[in-house]
Amino acid sequence: MPSIESVVEPLVSLRDVHLAFAGNPVLKGINLDVYPGQAVSIIGPSGSGKSTILRCITGLLQPQRGQIRVADTRVDALTREAQRIELRKRVGFVFQQYNLFPHLSVLQNLMIAPRKVLGRNRIDAEKDARALLAKVRMEHKADAYPGQLSGGQQQRVAIARALTMRPQLILFDEVTSALDPETVGEVLTVIRELTQEGMTCVLVTHEMRFAEEISDVVYFTENGVIVEHGSAEQIFEHPANERTREFLRHALGAPARRGPIVSDPYLLTNLSRYSLSV
Amino acid sequence: MNHWLEFFVHWASSLGLNYGFLLDAYPRSTLAQGALTTLWLCLLTIIGSLLTGLGLAALLTSGKRALAVPARVFIEVTRNTPTLVQLYCAFLVLNMLLNQAVGTANPLTPFAWVVIVISLHKGAFHAEALRAGIEAVPAVTLEAARSLAFSNRQLLWNVQLPLALRFALPSLINNLIDLVKMTAVASAIAVGDITYSAIMIWTQSDNVLELMILLLGFYGLLSFIVNCVGRYLEARLRMPGYGH
Repeated sequence: MPSIESVVEPLVSLRDVHLAFAGNPVLKGINLDVYPGQAVSIIGPSGSGKSTILRCITGLLQPQRGQIRVADTRVDALTREAQRIELRKRVGFVFQQYNLFPHLSVLQNLMIAPRKVLGRNRIDAEKDARALLAKVRMEHKADAYPGQLSGGQQQRVAIARALTMRPQLILFDEVTSALDPETVGEVLTVIRELTQEGMTCVLVTHEMRFAEEISDVVYFTENGVIVEHGSAEQIFEHPANERTREFLRHALGAPARRGPIVSDPYLLTNLSRYSLSV
Repeated sequence: MNHWLEFFVHWASSLGLNYGFLLDAYPRSTLAQGALTTLWLCLLTIIGSLLTGLGLAALLTSGKRALAVPARVFIEVTRNTPTLVQLYCAFLVLNMLLNQAVGTANPLTPFAWVVIVISLHKGAFHAEALRAGIEAVPAVTLEAARSLAFSNRQLLWNVQLPLALRFALPSLINNLIDLVKMTAVASAIAVGDITYSAIMIWTQSDNVLELMILLLGFYGLLSFIVNCVGRYLEARLRMPGYGH
């Protein structure tokens, strides 16, 4: 969509962002743009700085160098708490470990931020919360507590909780990594619907097929740098970089299969063939 | 009331215990006054120690060295010396210095000194229990609250403290049960609590065993009430899906 990009300002832009933890460089010059309504995926091996990028965008981490802009806010230059609060009202965040408040019911988890932070009244906040729970198909668990829900259910509640603030942008940080393969689907369905409604999303993910399906732009990171970025088709079908090709080969495809060993009597799978009647 | 008392005295005498002194107005009122004093001591020191603990825990977890180090020194000195010695030290040394300085204008009675010493002493233990609770709140839960645009104050009151209190509650109740029993040190500086009253009565008559049974029963009952309140709070604050 280069024609759109040339007229519309990016909602998020990172320029030459550097960040180190105690002298250990994690981000080494990240450039990234997210346009309104886009779904952008960041893929790459573990430890490549993907989650750190998301935490920088919402001001949970402060880079040592470079510029981060969200709409008209210079995130890297924020110094006061009130400024960060204004930013975070507009940027939702969904975590790998859900991070719901365990002492509050599902409904209270969804109502606390709108009531305390946005100052909305109880009736409106509850109406909104119930509508959002219905959207993520969790309305039947409104009075349950996070500890009573499965991982997939907790993650859907966490997405609804981020939506209660009516953010312009949602950041998803490996939101399916802690889930079993069956419940991954229910969470991805919710995210897919959000992107179809035009919500601007940045996803850090290891779900390659999902990233390919929903992303407008895909970034591949390794060792704190963006190795390659482009449309989903370009990255997944015709990756230009050798490292991207190698990563995707491992992530997407055929793990090396071992041929069946048919005649080994000590192999468990062959046991029946050799079992004795007793 | 008197009817029941007579019935009890009669029943106890059949077990060989002489509770006849309870029918005398003077020892009875001494004991009742002592029981009331102990109740007041418990109430005031429970409140005082919890406030002290909260303050010390706040200093410890403030992340500022200038605040955390003095709090840590205070806690270590306080919890590593005997309460009774601290009470003697406060009453015999500090109180005397205060008397020398301000004379009869000294507002601190022996009762007040007991409340102060026990509040500070148990406050040090509460602070450690609360610190454990505060540090047990996962950093990612706080990150989640921050990402929802909570201010530091909102985060403290709506997320960090409610969770920390739940984690610290069993330890805090443990401390409070110990505190109830600790109020008996008041008798060492002649504060008329129930222990002191009992001593006053048994030095004048031969009924140590009977008074001991009363004393133990009284403290046991008080501790049990604290325990029940603690259990009730734990049940009230229980987070479904966590613990039992």
